[in-house]
Amino acid sequence: MVVAEPTTLIIFRVKGSLELRCHLDSTETSHIQKVLSRTFENLRAQIKSESCVFTVCNTPVIIWPNKDVYEDITPDSPCEDVLQRIQSDEPESGGKRATKKKGKKDLSASVISLRLMMEVTKPGPLSAPVISKTVQKSHFLSATLPLDCAVRTHSKDTIKDVCDRLLEALTQQLCEMEKVMLQHMKGSTLLTAEPLHFLLPEPKGLVTVVFPAGVPDKELEAQRRELHQRFKLPNDRPYFRRANAYHFPNEHYKDGYLRNPHHALTHPTLENGKVFMVQGIYSYHHYMQDRMDDNGWGCAYRSLQTICSWFQQQGYVEQPVPSHKEIQQALVDVGDKQANFVGSRQWIGSIEVQAVLNHLLGITSKIMFVSQGSELASKGRELANHFLTEGTPIMIGGGVLAHTILGVAWSESTGQIRYLILDPHYTGSEDLQVITEKVPACT
Amino acid sequence: MGRVYIVDEDVEEYLSKLCSQQAGPVTGLLIGQSSGQRDFVVIAAPTPKDEESAGKTVDKEWVSEHARQVSRMLLGGLTVLGVFMITDADAKDTITTLRQLVFAVENLISSEQKWSPAEDDVTDCVTLHVNPKTRKYPFFNSAAKPADLKYQSGVGSCWTTVSCWLNVDLLIPLPDSRASKENSQKGLKVWTRQIENAVCLIDGKKLPEDSELTSGQVVSKRQDLFDKKALSEIISKPRSADVVQPCGGSVTVRGAVHCRAFLHTHKPKVKLAEKVLLKRDAISTVATRVQMLLDEPLASEEQIKDFSERENCPEFCLPRRIFCPLKSSGSLYVCDYQFSDEGLSEIVDRLKEMLGVDTAEEDLDTTQEMTAEITQGAFMAAAAALLATAASMMYYSDM
Repeated sequence: MVVAEPTTLIIFRVKGSLELRCHLDSTETSHIQKVLSRTFENLRAQIKSESCVFTVCNTPVIIWPNKDVYEDITPDSPCEDVLQRIQSDEPESGGKRATKKKGKKDLSASVISLRLMMEVTKPGPLSAPVISKTVQKSHFLSATLPLDCAVRTHSKDTIKDVCDRLLEALTQQLCEMEKVMLQHMKGSTLLTAEPLHFLLPEPKGLVTVVFPAGVPDKELEAQRRELHQRFKLPNDRPYFRRANAYHFPNEHYKDGYLRNPHHALTHPTLENGKVFMVQGIYSYHHYMQDRMDDNGWGCAYRSLQTICSWFQQQGYVEQPVPSHKEIQQALVDVGDKQANFVGSRQWIGSIEVQAVLNHLLGITSKIMFVSQGSELASKGRELANHFLTEGTPIMIGGGVLAHTILGVAWSESTGQIRYLILDPHYTGSEDLQVITEKVPACT
Repeated sequence: MGRVYIVDEDVEEYLSKLCSQQAGPVTGLLIGQSSGQRDFVVIAAPTPKDEESAGKTVDKEWVSEHARQVSRMLLGGLTVLGVFMITDADAKDTITTLRQLVFAVENLISSEQKWSPAEDDVTDCVTLHVNPKTRKYPFFNSAAKPADLKYQSGVGSCWTTVSCWLNVDLLIPLPDSRASKENSQKGLKVWTRQIENAVCLIDGKKLPEDSELTSGQVVSKRQDLFDKKALSEIISKPRSADVVQPCGGSVTVRGAVHCRAFLHTHKPKVKLAEKVLLKRDAISTVATRVQMLLDEPLASEEQIKDFSERENCPEFCLPRRIFCPLKSSGSLYVCDYQFSDEGLSEIVDRLKEMLGVDTAEEDLDTTQEMTAEITQGAFMAAAAALLATAASMMYYSDM
């Protein structure tokens, strides 16, 4: 698809919750199905009603999409106008870019968050309430449905268009939630539904899937297989595990680690050079994090943590990033170290990292030996190839230092090479600006 | 040094009148608004005489019960601020009684509160001893520190009003077959929290919390259905056991309530108006009425207007809110609840008895909430049926 003029893409994301409440006279499956369907019908009616309201976060914009009432904006305005109304957030540590990349055609450039709300007031006078009671041994169903829809629009699309699409997406999501809930109903046990967004390779883009809440990934293989088929995705790498869920740029990471801090840097220019980089998301682990004082000895542990984080966040493994103790225990478990290794401040090297990756995460790795640092330059082709095909971070250890290589800029013709290094020796806080300025890339 | 209490001159006049009239001791409640460093007293309501007691000793429980019933009649922003006593007994004797009374009233009021208390809520109550002989007015707060009392005219005017009609559509499970008071309160907790988290728009706009209201007569409200914290809790622990639970039945409440709150200053802060006062009024009027009805014995003949075809779900009208203007003030109102079998004369009597307010039937504002008509037929599940606008009320057909 050729884009005639340079319009940017904006993602409008609406979140809100609706309460699912109904009284069940019996727990017979068909009865539950009937009542549930009727309740969902009511919820869909709420979305179509005049009480449905979108408020745009951090702006005074409020929209009643079914009533065509727009506060602080007109329905024909291009949706990029909303961007101008957003009051700036404080820079948060842990995800916000320090510098805005110019000319970077990044999908995640603009996300506008909306909240779904329901108006509960009406113009009066109105009739006083009526109360009605049913006394009967029965059951009550009560759940909260976390609605979460995202649509991708061009900046010149009108607000009205966006709202219409969001309403459609919300209605559709309620249908999918109903389906998922009925599908996973066992007797009178019901699970709520949970929508997740996934960023698929272009041109599919952002896709939302409703999963049953609380069901672990391994029980949902059939559903994922069907999704891979539907979207024509290869089966050798995960796209729809929970860890693969798209992380919106304006969301905090709850664990506080920075993600892909290297995105804030500019690439070096080499004659005929190309850049080969880690693919996907990793989190930055370094000295002094997690209240662990490993200053001076923990660099290889931190590099290993960064690598583990990559596998976890791409959805290959479910294990969380191991702590120093867990790493040491793993080495004792495979017989590589004595029991008193656990709790010590002993350094580890590449061999140990390989052993832990294998034992804890079931991952095989290749060790490449270089007798001196200068030899690394000759391995340019091999490193470039690794990033192309595997895309995982590389741990480099030698002597008493360990680092993580995230990418290379390599020129096939001149043999010149530059490395993108993630330095685990940093002892400061998760401040992206400090990290990208102070921590140098090695040559 | 402490809080300043500004008492309306009309209240002073009223107390003086009581002084000259009564023979025995008179106790009563001081009603008004607490804000910032100042409190405003606009009503002095004498506690009705209890025929059973001799009238000699002051009955703590009786005064507390009076406070409880009076609280139901106050709109947003007005609360019971303290207790007064008119007696020519010595100050020393009176002070103990007064302090006991004030503690009892304070406890009762905080236990009756259906909303979560805010950090800056003032909970101090005061005691006022009026000695008709000496005409001295020792005035203390509940910590027995003297508080500053000032009389001022026109305290009852210059109040800002915010109001709205709130749609109520609740489905509450009953844990066992009796709808006891505890159950109805628990069931309302979820709804109460939603109201507390709702976003209020003043005249259709969302104003920043610190800004001031200039002319906010009508407030419409949005409901933020769940705050983020509650949402994330539910996602992280989606145990299937939470979704379907056994119950002993259910209660539905459908209709609308008219809510109103008053703020004393000319330019009250938005946060106070919407967050605190109007929402509290909404919460307490719904909770009060549900309680009123569920406290009554089940299936009392006068209450049931109509039986629907399904035997088990008789529908009752919740009492409707009637508003009564205060003569001493241009803009302040109190309210009462009219049951379907009552006439307006009963309202007038109750207002006189509980609040000492003199009023006539024609002064009452009965237009804010209309009496609901009960429909015949089992319309429990259809949400639309009972919500009436003026144009589309449903009438029950003749049997």
